[in-house]
Amino acid sequence: MLSIVVLYSFVYLLLLSFTLFLFIFSRRLFIESRERRDRRIYDLMELDLLKILTARDPRSEALAFSRKHGSRPRILKELLVAYREALAGRAVEPLKVIFEGTIRGRCLRELRSRWLATRLQNVRLFIDFSRPEEAVHLVKLLHDKPVVRLAALNALAGIASKETLAYIFDLFEKDPEPNLYAYSNIFFSLGPRIEPFIRATLDKPLPPAKSGLLVEMAGRLLLRGLYLDVIVFARHPDKELRIRAARTLGRLLVPESMRTLTDLAADAAWEVQAQALRSLGHLQDWRTIPILVKGLFSPQWHVRYNAGYGLAAFGLVGVLQLQEISRQKEDRFAADMAAMVLDSVILTGEVA
Amino acid sequence: MDVLRFLDGGIEAVILVYFLLINTFYFLFSILSLAGILRYRRLVTFVRFGEIFRMPIVKPVSIIVPAFNEGQGIIDSIRSLLSVRYPVFEVIVVNDGSTDQTLDRLIEAFDLKHWKAVYKRSLPSQPIRGIYRSPIQPKLIVVDKVNGRKADAMNAGLNVSRYPLFCAVDGDSILEKDALLKVVRPFLEDPERTIGAGGIIRLSNGCDVRDGQVIGVGIPRNWIARFQILEYLRAFLGGRLGMAMMRSTLIVSGAFGIFRKDIAIACGGYRAASITEDMDLCIRMQKHMHDLKKPYRVQFIPDPICWTEAPESLRVLARQRSRWHRGLIQTLVRYRSMLFNPRYGMAGLFAMPFYALFEMTGPFIECLGYALFVSHILLGQVNYPFAVMFFFVAVFYGTFVSLLSILLEELSEHRYPRPRDILILTAAGVAENLFYRQYLAVVRAWSMIDYLKGKNEWGAMEKRGFAKAGQAP
Repeated sequence: MLSIVVLYSFVYLLLLSFTLFLFIFSRRLFIESRERRDRRIYDLMELDLLKILTARDPRSEALAFSRKHGSRPRILKELLVAYREALAGRAVEPLKVIFEGTIRGRCLRELRSRWLATRLQNVRLFIDFSRPEEAVHLVKLLHDKPVVRLAALNALAGIASKETLAYIFDLFEKDPEPNLYAYSNIFFSLGPRIEPFIRATLDKPLPPAKSGLLVEMAGRLLLRGLYLDVIVFARHPDKELRIRAARTLGRLLVPESMRTLTDLAADAAWEVQAQALRSLGHLQDWRTIPILVKGLFSPQWHVRYNAGYGLAAFGLVGVLQLQEISRQKEDRFAADMAAMVLDSVILTGEVA
Repeated sequence: MDVLRFLDGGIEAVILVYFLLINTFYFLFSILSLAGILRYRRLVTFVRFGEIFRMPIVKPVSIIVPAFNEGQGIIDSIRSLLSVRYPVFEVIVVNDGSTDQTLDRLIEAFDLKHWKAVYKRSLPSQPIRGIYRSPIQPKLIVVDKVNGRKADAMNAGLNVSRYPLFCAVDGDSILEKDALLKVVRPFLEDPERTIGAGGIIRLSNGCDVRDGQVIGVGIPRNWIARFQILEYLRAFLGGRLGMAMMRSTLIVSGAFGIFRKDIAIACGGYRAASITEDMDLCIRMQKHMHDLKKPYRVQFIPDPICWTEAPESLRVLARQRSRWHRGLIQTLVRYRSMLFNPRYGMAGLFAMPFYALFEMTGPFIECLGYALFVSHILLGQVNYPFAVMFFFVAVFYGTFVSLLSILLEELSEHRYPRPRDILILTAAGVAENLFYRQYLAVVRAWSMIDYLKGKNEWGAMEKRGFAKAGQAP
């Protein structure tokens, strides 16, 4: 009995292995020949596209291109995505014309596909090539699975009308498990135009993680108009929010924030102190040098570290202070930190 | 005599069940991986990894490279690490008391100067003799310390590191330019829960390596290296991806893995006495999260690639595998409380028992089978037609799983460019069953005896350097 099982297993495995080998090998040969053919077509398309980009009337040339190459959507998608990454501003316009004339209809159809990956791939194309009239299709995807929803938001960010921005912020407020990485990407790509929306959202009672992201965004996008809205969070009971407020104030560089940052430098949490000292360094207000010097004598390593680099940011004055502290004998930890920062400045030019 | 015959039959049944189960598991992992790779491929279509480069909230990474007698390839490795595409990172090379020219070469190549560093000693490590920085490469920090093994070097690197994520990379490894951008994605998507992520390790033997980058991928001439290429494909694309899909990742390779520093430090960093420090840390971090009842995930990403050099002689290979196996036993014994413990979720109920039953005791059972076969020959009790057929079943089962891993490679990265490479890898898949597998089974089974005898040495690895590896000696 066992011999028969083994015999059948042997025959079965032999056939299975042989078939699998043939599949792998023939698939490779097929893919190689297809890649060669695709490459040839891609090169031809690329030549035509380069002509469009340098033509006097790119729009009409783009329409002609669509008629000529519209029958090869797969390669066309690759070309459009590759060039979208390389181009910016008005140069993208012909790509949008080609997209509309060739694969837009198909992509819109596939946005309704039952396969998640297909929906995702197509919505991602709209991130690059969306027009205001696409918003209605993309909004429908805001109730899809998280990964598709975020891609749809990203695509809506490309349209950036007042309505779409309202959609984005509304969804951000209501999202029970926000993917902060994706939202930060979307907000960052929208740029300073989101200032009124951030202001309105910061006024609402949101979980600290969401408020934190908006505070962070205010700093990253240098939205100085939000200074008064951000400063409120410097007194927030959540430590993480105070850290983010301190960091943002260090980016906005509003001179009046010196007082708030000085208060934060004396915060109960050392993490807040460390960030406040680093931001004070960025602010470069000479009146804060004694606070930074005091920070170098803190029992916390991170506070000393940031105070040291904060002082170094002042240039020669800071370096002289660091030299003095490195020579004193009362606090070895402060002296060592000052020496390290000086060494870094000399060796690598690293300041902050 | 009846007792002996009963015992003999019992052992035969155990071996047969083991053979069936282990191959079935590997087959299932391969099928899971196949689904995972196809899904991953479709999900990352049109994703621009370059976007991450511009992201405002990307966390900085400290790349820590422990190096012990890596003089042959260290400069290429560090150049490749310094040229990775990532917004903010630092490379910390820890010279773990090398007795060769490792430190001198680094000093010469990067014009290193002494740096009066002040760092927080969060983890214990052997004394640091000096810390160096490079005026020409501000991202590079070199720590020179007294020898204390890899785990100790990693702890020293962690102490000196400044960033919230750290990436462990071997001194003989080369990272692809986008590898960090790709492997860091889980930390951006789910920063609270993700505690570790690993990429795939590939062998640089036979590849064309210039200025710290793999320019051309090829198959080495050395058959031992060829067998290892298949083993790595099976292990990473078949095994680890499949296990990651079952939320059962117990190892993030020490050659290329990224972790959250706060969690690593909270659970005591690397354990200096551990031989396989990567597995030890990964399990300890998971245990720590389970004990705190905090949700976590450890991800395996199939496309960030790290190239490393594999041993090309049986002697060095045996040393490496013996160490890996002793490390596996040591780690499983140390965390035995997790075995079959529902408190530790899939890690306790599936991953740990799988490693214990198949990876740890597997070679022992395999060797028992060989010994039994030899004894039957001597006693004239072998049913030769059955034995030959069973042997071929074993060969083709192994070959089939190897072919599945080649298919996974074709579907994921498709790195081996020529159709001839598929032929060579398939031939290696058949040939490895004839001596190589048995040899490694004996080495690994012997390492169990070494472990019981208390052997805890690392064993020197001889490297040829990236430029020479894979060529005929």
